[in-house]
Amino acid sequence: MVSSNRRWAVVSELAQASNRPIAGQSGRTDLMWLGLLALVALLMLVPLIAGGFLLYSLALCFANALAVLSVSALVRYGGEVSIGHSFFVALGAYTVAIMEHQLGLSVLVSAPIASALGGVAGFVFAFPSRRLSGIYLAVATMALALALPEILIGFEKLTGGFQGLYIALDLIPGVSKPLQRYYVTLAVLGLVCLALAQFRRSPQGMALLMARAQPRAAEAMGITISWARISIFTLSAAIASLAGALLAFSSSTVSPNSFSFWSGVFLLVGSVVSLNGLSLPAAVAGGAFITLVPTYLANAGDWVPILYGTALIAVTLAANAGHLVRFVSDRRR
Amino acid sequence: MNGAGRIVGDLMPLMWSGIVSGCLYGVGALGLVMVFKSSRVVNFSHGNLACLGAFVVYGLSSGTLMSLSWASAVGLALGVAAAVAALSYAVIAPIVFKSDLASTIATLGIGLILQGAVQLLFGADIVNLDLPVPRFGFSLAGIRISSYDLAVLAITLIVVGGLFAIIERTKLGVAFRAVSTNPFACEVCGLNLRSVHLFSWLAGAILGLVAALLIVPTTFLSSTTVPSFMLQAFTAAVVGGFSSLPGAAVGGILVGIATNLFSFYVSPEFMNTFLLAVILLTLNFFPNGLLEQTMGGRV
Repeated sequence: MVSSNRRWAVVSELAQASNRPIAGQSGRTDLMWLGLLALVALLMLVPLIAGGFLLYSLALCFANALAVLSVSALVRYGGEVSIGHSFFVALGAYTVAIMEHQLGLSVLVSAPIASALGGVAGFVFAFPSRRLSGIYLAVATMALALALPEILIGFEKLTGGFQGLYIALDLIPGVSKPLQRYYVTLAVLGLVCLALAQFRRSPQGMALLMARAQPRAAEAMGITISWARISIFTLSAAIASLAGALLAFSSSTVSPNSFSFWSGVFLLVGSVVSLNGLSLPAAVAGGAFITLVPTYLANAGDWVPILYGTALIAVTLAANAGHLVRFVSDRRR
Repeated sequence: MNGAGRIVGDLMPLMWSGIVSGCLYGVGALGLVMVFKSSRVVNFSHGNLACLGAFVVYGLSSGTLMSLSWASAVGLALGVAAAVAALSYAVIAPIVFKSDLASTIATLGIGLILQGAVQLLFGADIVNLDLPVPRFGFSLAGIRISSYDLAVLAITLIVVGGLFAIIERTKLGVAFRAVSTNPFACEVCGLNLRSVHLFSWLAGAILGLVAALLIVPTTFLSSTTVPSFMLQAFTAAVVGGFSSLPGAAVGGILVGIATNLFSFYVSPEFMNTFLLAVILLTLNFFPNGLLEQTMGGRV
């Protein structure tokens, strides 16, 4: 126990040290805080002017933003790519739907259970590839995404098969449905963003970042790499399932249509487009991109994957732009 | 017939058809492993490119776009697949040495674009695309062997034999082996890594298209079947260790037999779930692939 306490002490000293330079540039930080507060205030006031359909779309945006956030957290802290997070989202969504249908419980009870189940599923899934490079995990998540539709359709008695299930119970009785969908999803998204910001400063968060950036140094300090990989995947899957619970609540329905193979890839697209950011604006931007583009480009159905693919490549290349410049100048030489 | 006799009677044909489809999973997996060994990128656009190629063959030979003979349609489709593969590599070339992860994500983007292109050009139709081989069949020791089976085995042998001959005998093959062992040393020696990468991407695209053209006659061709067929190829590559060419071939046959037995005795509806379980169990118990245990070291 003593050694593990010491280890946390050292890591949290590191955390303190890394916080110091950030505190130094306080002018910029204040401006960022002001911007963030303005965004939150704006989002809080939207229901005063917006109509039903926009509110509904925005609630879906927030739920998807949380799912995008779970993928970004995995990329940021674990350096892993997942294209199968739709599995955990679906797990959360169906947990909410099934608990309402079988037990009559509302999302207030079922969302935490969904999140916990997602964490367990994430642990079980990440465990086998704990010692391998991220590429094996990416391949395994592809299988996960492809297995999802047939599981949903196969267990027809529970999941309602092709038709899916409806969710009718309210969370807060007496408040109109669009309003509570909007505010509940926004509140949960905001809370998770705050929690992730706190996690970034915590010794545990620092330990995970260190395990990613400097695996050997981290091992030397007593952080087990395989354990770090499993724990970030577990955390990420728990967030994804919470997002699924919100998605079920805000769309009032779950069906296999919304969880095809590509929906997992789209979550990754959202994450890449938001530059894997863990802040509220980044998450909302990523969630809005994958929610609103298919809604407003419904006529151009087949162009959507092309647009997503182009965005994915463009942002990936631009994010590595420093290298791009060198690549071009190498050519000229 | 008693119980044991019936099981054996079922088992042999199942094993045989498993081996036949396993050859194709192996060919698909070889394409993935070629790309991974040289450029350390998992090519998620593999299935989508093969799908596009198969649709080009369909479009050119069925009269949707043109009505050419099957052979010339395949020739053109191979050209298209090679061109798209070269283009895909050109897209990720700037970042391929910097980040495996970013390059892998970029291949997903390429896959999305190809998927959209197939849907735009050919719609969401389900079509048939047969192999133009004379139909005959005979029984051997209780196993029905069709002309399709023989064609698959022959083409697999030719393609895989050709590939291994290139890798073993030619200068390009030596360069490929060198790059997959130690890229840094190769660069120091003045080897052009880009040309080796390009070779492996082209070879991967051709292998993928060949596998797709041979697997499509057993089912049908649509914008989703070929990409999901590639899950078998991915599983085969994982079973073989993902960086071993013989491993991919053997892994393909093992996966072919296993999926056939599973769909006959358990359930054909949960095939992808079964493959997921195979991947997870392999990663847990044989992280470097099954072959490393038996053959000692990777090739």
